Amino acid sequence: MLSTRDLSVGYDDRTVLDGLDLDLPADAFTVIVGPNACGKSTLLRTMARLLTPRRGTVLLDGTAIRDLPTRAVARRLGVLPQSPLVPEGVTVADLVGRGRQPYQRWWRQWSPSDEVAVAEAMELADVQELAERPVDTLSGGQRQRVWIAMTLAQDTEALLLDEPTTFLDLAHQVEVLDLLHRLRTERGRTVVAVLHDLNQAARYADHLVAMRAGAVVAAGPPRQILTVDLVREVFGLDCVVVPCPVTGAPLVVPTLRTSSVTKGSSCAAEFSPSSPSPPSVPA
Amino acid sequence: MTALPVGRTLVRLGPARLVVRHRPLLVGGVLVVLLAAAVVLSLSLGTPYVAPVDVLRSVSGAGTRYDLVVLDLRLPRVVLAALVGAVFGIAGTLIQSVARNPLASPDVVGVTQGAGLAATVALTSGAAAPLIAPAALAGGLAATVVVLLLGLRHGLAAQRFVLAGVAVAVALRALTEVVMLSADPIDGLRAQLWLVGTLAGKGWREAAYLGMTLLVLLPVLLWAGWALNGSALDDDTARGVGLRPVARRVGLATTGVLAAAMVTAQVGAVDFVALVAPQVARRLVRAERPPLVCAALVGALLVVLADLAGRRLFAPTQLPAGVLTAALGGPYLIYLLLRGRRKVS
Repeated sequence: MLSTRDLSVGYDDRTVLDGLDLDLPADAFTVIVGPNACGKSTLLRTMARLLTPRRGTVLLDGTAIRDLPTRAVARRLGVLPQSPLVPEGVTVADLVGRGRQPYQRWWRQWSPSDEVAVAEAMELADVQELAERPVDTLSGGQRQRVWIAMTLAQDTEALLLDEPTTFLDLAHQVEVLDLLHRLRTERGRTVVAVLHDLNQAARYADHLVAMRAGAVVAAGPPRQILTVDLVREVFGLDCVVVPCPVTGAPLVVPTLRTSSVTKGSSCAAEFSPSSPSPPSVPA
Repeated sequence: MTALPVGRTLVRLGPARLVVRHRPLLVGGVLVVLLAAAVVLSLSLGTPYVAPVDVLRSVSGAGTRYDLVVLDLRLPRVVLAALVGAVFGIAGTLIQSVARNPLASPDVVGVTQGAGLAATVALTSGAAAPLIAPAALAGGLAATVVVLLLGLRHGLAAQRFVLAGVAVAVALRALTEVVMLSADPIDGLRAQLWLVGTLAGKGWREAAYLGMTLLVLLPVLLWAGWALNGSALDDDTARGVGLRPVARRVGLATTGVLAAAMVTAQVGAVDFVALVAPQVARRLVRAERPPLVCAALVGALLVVLADLAGRRLFAPTQLPAGVLTAALGGPYLIYLLLRGRRKVS
């Protein structure tokens, strides 16, 4: 449902994305991965019309997103930026209610459908019991669920999230990713997220997009595209890829680079890839 | 289960559906009563003293022998004081929301200094009295335009707005000093007095003008009250929910500085009200942002009381209202900061 055509984006004199063509499948959980500064956040933010491209277009179901009124886009596309500013003294229920903004006007501030959407979003993100708490008194994990609830209240077909698990501990990361997975499987939403953790990406994504230096290196189901060669090409990292003991999804395990750490262990030797010595990849 | 947060009620007015918060309504009601009491007090105190009963009879048109004192001498000034406070309260609320800073006020963003410089130039160059206010208005507006243009290059981001304002304000203040020092000492003193801000010798004409300002601003204020709700979100999040943060900020800032320029042109820099009224109102209603109507009422109450105190404390010497608003508002803000530190942080 989201596509880019010849998309070029940059900041000042630096070009981040140059002529990118990409199609993201509808009703799938797409995860974008890549090294720091590869342009994955820029891509997500441009697709969410938070950045204006220098050239090219973002298409939402075939219509150029910049030709649509921002309110209309907000009814079809929810966005969760990387670290939203937490407003002071605003309660959870109030903040989630602001997700209804695209459906409201100053003379029509609240409707029964707002009520239903907010209640449902709070239940889905499991924040009902926090409803009257000020958001700035919550823990990081709770806050993230509240922000997700706000974007859910927007009631959009698609949801874009920029590193939604950053700054969360492992248990809360899994909690957030499980929630996104449920949105996709139980509610049929299209979910697109930028993630740092390759293994989490492989575990949750239906569709994986691997980027490097502003270009898409590979895109497809993780089980098909996540290989030793891809990790080396994208991250410049040597690794082995084994099936995850829990899900069977590819699990990326970096090999050790210095012998001093291995000391007596043969782990690196046993699992090192059988391919001939890798070509040097620029960091 | 209702999804509307507690403490709010949906009000249906024909096709319109408005969310009304309970606490601002309550606080607003109390403020209206206090304001009425302050107005009556201000009309009754002075030489001669007029009993509140006679004040009420005079105001309601029953006709008493105090009509001249109450209706012609005191009422215009009290009404003007209330209007000045209300407009400053609104201006302060809007400016603070755009600046994302509770210390922002018309004199932080250059409006006061623009008006001050123009008024000083007019006063020291021997311009006729009726020209002072228009000159001050033009000066305030010119400063505003410069600040907005400087701020716009980065979408009127909070810091940019404040920095541009402070820069313009400092430059204009320096220029004002130069003009004042090089002028005739008597003219310099008049300019000094204008800058402090006073209601002495002003009345219906200025009040009518401010009343018109409020009336013209009313539809904008209805929008602003709603738009302020979104101002707590950062730009990306706001765009995500379909808001246009830059357009909204420009609208709010323009309305705020326009209102500030209008009122400053009439009465000078009583603008400490603009700083303190929104913060007092915000703490009274315990909301994350100052409510417009309550801020206007707090401003009105503050200026009416300041003007009364200025007239009576050291009678027959009159202190300018601008001095008294600072003297009254400052300590109260400090008290609220100390008391409310835990509740509203």
